Amino acid sequence: MAITILAPAPAEPIYREVDPSEDSDNGGADLEGDHEMRPTKRAKHSTFSIVTPGEVVTDDAQWMRGHGTYIQPGSTEIIATVAGTIQKTNKLLSVRPLRARYTPEIGDLVVGRIMEVQSKRWRVDVGAPNLADLPLAAINLPGGILRKRTETDELEIRTFFSEGDLLVAEVQSLRQDGSASLHTRSLKYGKLRNGVFMSVTGTGGGGGVVRARRQVWTIDTMHGGGKVDVILGVNGYIWISKHIEVAGGETAITRMEESISATVYSSQNEYIGPETRTEISRIKGVITLLVEQGFRVDEDMVMKGYEAAVTVDDEDLGETNVYLGGAKGKKVVDLLSEK
Amino acid sequence: MAPQSLQQILLSPAELSYLHTSLSSNPPIRPDGRTATQFRPLIAESDILPGTNGSARICFADGTEAVVGVKAEVERSSGISRDVDGEGEGEEGVKKGRNEWVEISVDIPGERDDDSNPIFLAAVLSEALLADGEFVERLWINRHFHWRLYLDVLLLSPPLSYPLPLLSLTTHLALLTTRLPKLLSEKDEDPLFSDDWDASEPLYHPPHTSHPPITLLVMAVQETIIFDPSKEELAVADAVLAVSLSESPTSNSSSQDTEMEMDVEGGKKRNLRLLAVRTIDPPSRLTHKGLANKVNTATGGTAQKNLEDGGGDGEEGVWCPPRGGAKRGLIKEMIGRVLERGGVGEEVLDGLCGAEL
Repeated sequence: MAITILAPAPAEPIYREVDPSEDSDNGGADLEGDHEMRPTKRAKHSTFSIVTPGEVVTDDAQWMRGHGTYIQPGSTEIIATVAGTIQKTNKLLSVRPLRARYTPEIGDLVVGRIMEVQSKRWRVDVGAPNLADLPLAAINLPGGILRKRTETDELEIRTFFSEGDLLVAEVQSLRQDGSASLHTRSLKYGKLRNGVFMSVTGTGGGGGVVRARRQVWTIDTMHGGGKVDVILGVNGYIWISKHIEVAGGETAITRMEESISATVYSSQNEYIGPETRTEISRIKGVITLLVEQGFRVDEDMVMKGYEAAVTVDDEDLGETNVYLGGAKGKKVVDLLSEK
Repeated sequence: MAPQSLQQILLSPAELSYLHTSLSSNPPIRPDGRTATQFRPLIAESDILPGTNGSARICFADGTEAVVGVKAEVERSSGISRDVDGEGEGEEGVKKGRNEWVEISVDIPGERDDDSNPIFLAAVLSEALLADGEFVERLWINRHFHWRLYLDVLLLSPPLSYPLPLLSLTTHLALLTTRLPKLLSEKDEDPLFSDDWDASEPLYHPPHTSHPPITLLVMAVQETIIFDPSKEELAVADAVLAVSLSESPTSNSSSQDTEMEMDVEGGKKRNLRLLAVRTIDPPSRLTHKGLANKVNTATGGTAQKNLEDGGGDGEEGVWCPPRGGAKRGLIKEMIGRVLERGGVGEEVLDGLCGAEL
């Protein structure tokens, strides 16, 4: 069947009441708050804890206001400014938005897309409210040795990055308005090629990419796919690409820059076999599924999801189809929830 | 010329090249792993608006959602023109419809009513609906009155991908559920209708009348033909067609291919009819060419001296925007894939029939 048409299902409650006994994957923080306290304050919303902007969260003076709330001068009422769930940390009350744009923080690994080229810098879309900056001084110039940038580099700024190019970078500093300044001064960072881009919700609310120990890793794929790199940008932008071995493996550490920099600004793809492309599609499908189901997206979950997807696909004898919609996606989710 | 109706999305040359190579390989490897003819699952419901004669809502998997409402109104036919153009006017039972009796308006968030995009979409939808001329005949009440049909097509979400198939499928479902009150008066009396809504008559009654039309988006990358393209896939398309088709009522006159009828399981046979084809400008033509390593100064190459020498054209892994039009054979093949027996058109119609509950 080429097309599946489903009847609409009633909306599932996104936020269930969490039993105090079952520790969900919120990293220990109790998102739902103190159960025994709520009935006195928000009796009518005790079963469904989403607040909307303007809603009075509490009028008890014992709470301090946190992110996503405000107090009108001369009153003790804490009012929500975003739609989301209430989060209580000791006596600090904040509202965690259901959906939010990415707020850059120093040291974040982000994937971005060049939107504008200016005379000495690029403007990069990282999914934040403002475009981020990438100054020409903050990239590794080709030619091996670290050198001073020259006027020629300024004139040739589009040979490094031009509009639409994707790059992986690190947030170097933040400005007053919350916009970020990026840098790519490392061999890990730079232009992206040999793969596909996808964008999911970043750190903010719901499922999505969470800050983790490792944002970049290599998957040894099944079915002869070879090695595939996954870069999970903290901003929710994801890059999945074929792993490229550094040429001449035994290069001395001092010469590494030289050998890598030859292709660092290339926009020509290497040869990528159909098996690798299929596995890249599969990984992309797994991440889409994780986000749809509201799971967090990190190395652990992606690896588990990938294994589950391969298992489910192998059970189906006959044609291999990596599309994870409908029944197959459900099986993968079931496998994931078991673990 | 058709308006630039496909949204340009910014992709890097490396991404475009990756997508293009993946899609043009055989079998195509789509970024979400679907097969070439597989559609994304969609959520549909009909009869959702109580104040309309028929309505439907469809949610696509990419998050786009549309609502269609059909309202019918009795209108006095302008008698003069009818007297002028009809010689068969005196005869009883001659039904004549006019295209103005159907009004389609498309509303897309963030776009004005008189923008080219909604107007183009409304034109494609009405073109398919009016193509057979048989539909408007059903709006005829008597010599002095007719139904006027308003189709309000509302896209609820921002247009993430090209919304034409979504709008068309929703319109199809809405028209299938459209019911008109039963006529009690006779002949050329002023029309009087039954109050009983249960006695109302459906506008389309599939086994007896034709199906409402559907418009499908088909795209080609080199030799590969792909259905239900996503936004990224459209970005590398060589050619994009909007194919409108409908099903003729099953008639006994087509008895010459009874043997072929037997082959189809369950004796079910669909008589597909091509109504209209529109080409849509693929956005890939407006992209920039990728630079091959050997002409890229940042990768140790030497800059291209003059434009004539091509500079790495046709090199593997370098994006090169499509030039020239689609081949005749390819267009024919794309249309054929929709209409062929057991092809995508039939499957989509089957799916839609199963959907209305």
